[in-house]
Amino acid sequence: MEQYWIIARSVTYAQRMERVLAAAGIRTRIFRAPRELSNLGCAYAVELTGGVNPALAILRNAGLYPAKLYLLQQGKYVELSL
Amino acid sequence: MIYLDSAATSFQKPEAVGHAMETALRKMSSPGRGGYPEAMQAAETLLSCRTELAELFHVPEPEQVVFTMNATHGLNIAIKSLVPYGGRVVISGYEHNAVTRPLAALAADIRVARAPLFRPDLMSEAFEKAITPDVDAVICTHVSNVFGAVQPVEAVAAICRERGVPFIIDASQSAGVLPLNMAALGAAFIAMPGHKGLYGPQGTGVLLCCEKAETSPLMEGGTGSVSIQQEMPEFLPDRLEAGTHNVPGIAGLLEGVRFVREMGEEAICVHERKLALRASEGLREISGVTVCARRDLFDQTGVLSFVAQGLDSELVGNALADAGFAVRAGMHCAPLAHRTAGTIDSGTVRLSFSVFNREEEVDLLLKALPEILQRLSN
Repeated sequence: MEQYWIIARSVTYAQRMERVLAAAGIRTRIFRAPRELSNLGCAYAVELTGGVNPALAILRNAGLYPAKLYLLQQGKYVELSL
Repeated sequence: MIYLDSAATSFQKPEAVGHAMETALRKMSSPGRGGYPEAMQAAETLLSCRTELAELFHVPEPEQVVFTMNATHGLNIAIKSLVPYGGRVVISGYEHNAVTRPLAALAADIRVARAPLFRPDLMSEAFEKAITPDVDAVICTHVSNVFGAVQPVEAVAAICRERGVPFIIDASQSAGVLPLNMAALGAAFIAMPGHKGLYGPQGTGVLLCCEKAETSPLMEGGTGSVSIQQEMPEFLPDRLEAGTHNVPGIAGLLEGVRFVREMGEEAICVHERKLALRASEGLREISGVTVCARRDLFDQTGVLSFVAQGLDSELVGNALADAGFAVRAGMHCAPLAHRTAGTIDSGTVRLSFSVFNREEEVDLLLKALPEILQRLSN
């Protein structure tokens, strides 16, 4: 299954995303985003396995918007347009 | 000691508050900095506290719940966000120095909506006359810290909404005691301490911010977010929370809020008012004592002031302390309230109750006071 990283602007925002997705039965993991994946200087990532489109829809409905979205492809993270 | 100074800070806390603080000290680090379990646990605690507070006060999103050091800190943020130097404000005649001093520092043009104590109808009328669309902000304490008088913030909020004027509520004496619905009120900011009616520790406070509120940070510094940018983040709560959080304090506050939600604000208020009424009725029987309240304690919480004729209120307060009763006397950091009420010369002795006080404690005070006053008068 494909692995995605949703970049959040702050830890609070990442946690809100995690809670909203958990309420929808989607398991995620929060961790510090590598600097190269964010132009924010520091950010948190919400890791998601598969089902990114439904997850993004759930987040949008909750008024939550990723700063960036990445897909793990052949060992590298590729930025996807939101 | 019989503690009757909860308007200053609630001394007795639910047991869970201390336990939570100890756990935080031993097991949590700083949120929004690292990604390891101890940092994430701290972050989780903060979000849980924001969420509980958002639910209690009907705030749409937990991020609109900002942690401060105390209500004074929150009021300074709110006032300095909305009121420019020399700006125009309308305040009630019962505001605390936490409101009047920042306004003095801003050289604000202040209109005071005055009304006698326990006349919320006249207070509403006074605000109606004073609030014009050119006013930068309206500030009103929900409950007077000196007299326990409940002010008509719902009516004032309606006037502000109608005239497009931002409204700041000082909920220092009402948070955890009277219902406050941020969404319904449409207030720009509601400031409160964590350590009074919310039963958290000192060093905690909360500022509720409406989604569209213009906010100016009081402090700039690290937020663990958008670090490349040299301006404070645009988004809440980070914009108003520079520096390391008081994690043990917030962990304790979380348990205090849970306690309040479990007990219910109404039950807490009924209990405290019952004690204030018992005290008021007993004080009226004591020669030379004037109680600053209506007989039925209409529109009043568990905060009660009295004056002992011919006696300095601080002397009475000291004598009560010597006798084992913790009260506050004097100006209560609210000279404007005393001027409005006519007690500026004498000050008052204030009794303020919490959910942990008992009727027997009131009775002991009423038994001790006459002899104390007699001794001071001789």
